[in-house]
Amino acid sequence: MSGAANPSLSLGSGMASHRRRLGARGILELVGIYAALVLVLLETIYPLLWVLFGSLKTKQEMLSNIWGPPSSLVFQNYVDAWRIAGMGSRIVSSVFVTGSALIILVAVATPCAYALARLRFPGRGLVLAVAVAAMLVPPQVMAIPLFMVARDLGLINNRLGIAFVYAATSLPLSVFILRSFFITLPADLEDAARVDGASRLAILIHIMLPLIRPGVALILIFGFIEIWNDFFLAFLLLRDPSVQTIPLGLVSFFQQYDSLWTLYFAALTITTLPVIVVFIAMQRQFIAGLTAGAVKG
Amino acid sequence: MSTRPQEAAPSASRFGRFLAGDGAVAFVMILPAAILFCLFYLWPFVNGFWLSLHNWDGFSDPTWAGFSNYQRLAYDRIFLGALRNNLIFVVAVVVLKNVLGLGLALLLNRALVGRTFFRAAAFIPVTMSFVAVGLLWSWIYNPVFGLLNGALDLFGLGGLKQSWLGDANIALYSIIVVDVWKWLGFHAVIYLAGLQTIPSELYESAKMDGAGPVQRFWHVTLPMMMPIVFINTILGLSGAFVRNFDIVYVLTKGGPNHATEVVLTYMMSKAFQDGAMSYAAAIGYVLFLIVGLASVGLLALMRRQRLDV
Repeated sequence: MSGAANPSLSLGSGMASHRRRLGARGILELVGIYAALVLVLLETIYPLLWVLFGSLKTKQEMLSNIWGPPSSLVFQNYVDAWRIAGMGSRIVSSVFVTGSALIILVAVATPCAYALARLRFPGRGLVLAVAVAAMLVPPQVMAIPLFMVARDLGLINNRLGIAFVYAATSLPLSVFILRSFFITLPADLEDAARVDGASRLAILIHIMLPLIRPGVALILIFGFIEIWNDFFLAFLLLRDPSVQTIPLGLVSFFQQYDSLWTLYFAALTITTLPVIVVFIAMQRQFIAGLTAGAVKG
Repeated sequence: MSTRPQEAAPSASRFGRFLAGDGAVAFVMILPAAILFCLFYLWPFVNGFWLSLHNWDGFSDPTWAGFSNYQRLAYDRIFLGALRNNLIFVVAVVVLKNVLGLGLALLLNRALVGRTFFRAAAFIPVTMSFVAVGLLWSWIYNPVFGLLNGALDLFGLGGLKQSWLGDANIALYSIIVVDVWKWLGFHAVIYLAGLQTIPSELYESAKMDGAGPVQRFWHVTLPMMMPIVFINTILGLSGAFVRNFDIVYVLTKGGPNHATEVVLTYMMSKAFQDGAMSYAAAIGYVLFLIVGLASVGLLALMRRQRLDV
């Protein structure tokens, strides 16, 4: 490949032999790159495969056959893991908490971002400054007072309550992202609708919202990964086992039954595989979404 | 930012102008966000400071304590150890994520067969929860049938086998490896996006000047990538300070004997095992000050650097 790119260098030793030498070096380089990439692949994918294999082995085989695929498939592990770890109710909790939080987040952040991007009013600079400053305060550092506020409001062990907390902690970044999307839209669009007598809210919902769908998708992806995977705030605010989300359920399952290795791997597979499948299906949007903001900013 | 004609009559009162213009609409649109923010962001933030200036177990009457909680922190050996561990953790993961992330991005920044596949594979751990990653690695590090000790045996390196999470001298570094493993793909993908913005003419002219691949990296790639290095550093830095609770809690709970204690695990154990709510709130504030100073410092550096370029 690099031989073709460098024909101008072939002086002296003769074109053909030089190209062959460069070609050999190019091939060597390619082999090196692929070897390195296969190594990366091995260290990321093999541990996951190992969990998948382990989840289908018997406990004896787990010790006698550490590396390879299972000799026979023990699907009973999944049935037992599902029952013992109470996966059903954990999944319901996670879906409810994540879903509610994302709905609240979009409903609250969108009009706020629109106002900051499009309306002129006194105090706009202040609101914007507060949003930026809040991004410097990670919610983890105020876990203790947050716990107390939630307690005073009766929101401990309340799944809708923690959904509001999640929406609040994702709010500053989401407002900031959505605002940058609103700013890029041309003003004439809106002015035309205003001349026709449309209200601000109608403009926001019917004209602007469809145009900033990529921005909404971005905060949904960010929010989903954060909230679905969160352990810390859930650990802080959801103390009753009956309302716990998947990450909490996994940890308590692990701590109670740490000798049930194979079930344990089955539970890990049940919770990890769906997210990986969703990721693989939408990886283009995922990766573009997560990195676009960073690189442009 | 749209400029529109003034709609309200100029003679109206201030409040009248506010209502007639966009003020009322803006107020209504911002109100829900403001309520949510005040309740679960601003109020805990202010209340936490108040709490840290009192002695309170969370139930009886709070008593004024001034800055005594902060003074006690300065002599709390476990806290200072946790702070030290936290700083080691931050520096190690930020450096490793940047160096390895850029390395991986350079590998992927070629017209390779299966590039999308490799990129996706490297990104998979990013989508996993810290809990799943932590639990997975607690099995990899398992001294009896863990993957790591097994691999060492396989390659005839049995002498290097360790109790990876049980040995106080190496447990912290074992956890650092896990955090880097989880985030490597994320930083690599950001670097990759950055690499693709470098105009190829720069490489062409560097080649013309006789620069080899190593020189091209130092004199073209790296200078052009400095903004991305900053972004990756900021993302890694703020994350490393405050997102280590899950992984430490799952892998070691801060042990053995506080060897892997970080600020957040210590804060949580003070609050919920010892009931020292105000002391824990003070710990949170100290952490906030450190993270804030680090972020602001880095942003200032970034801004100055941009002006220089």
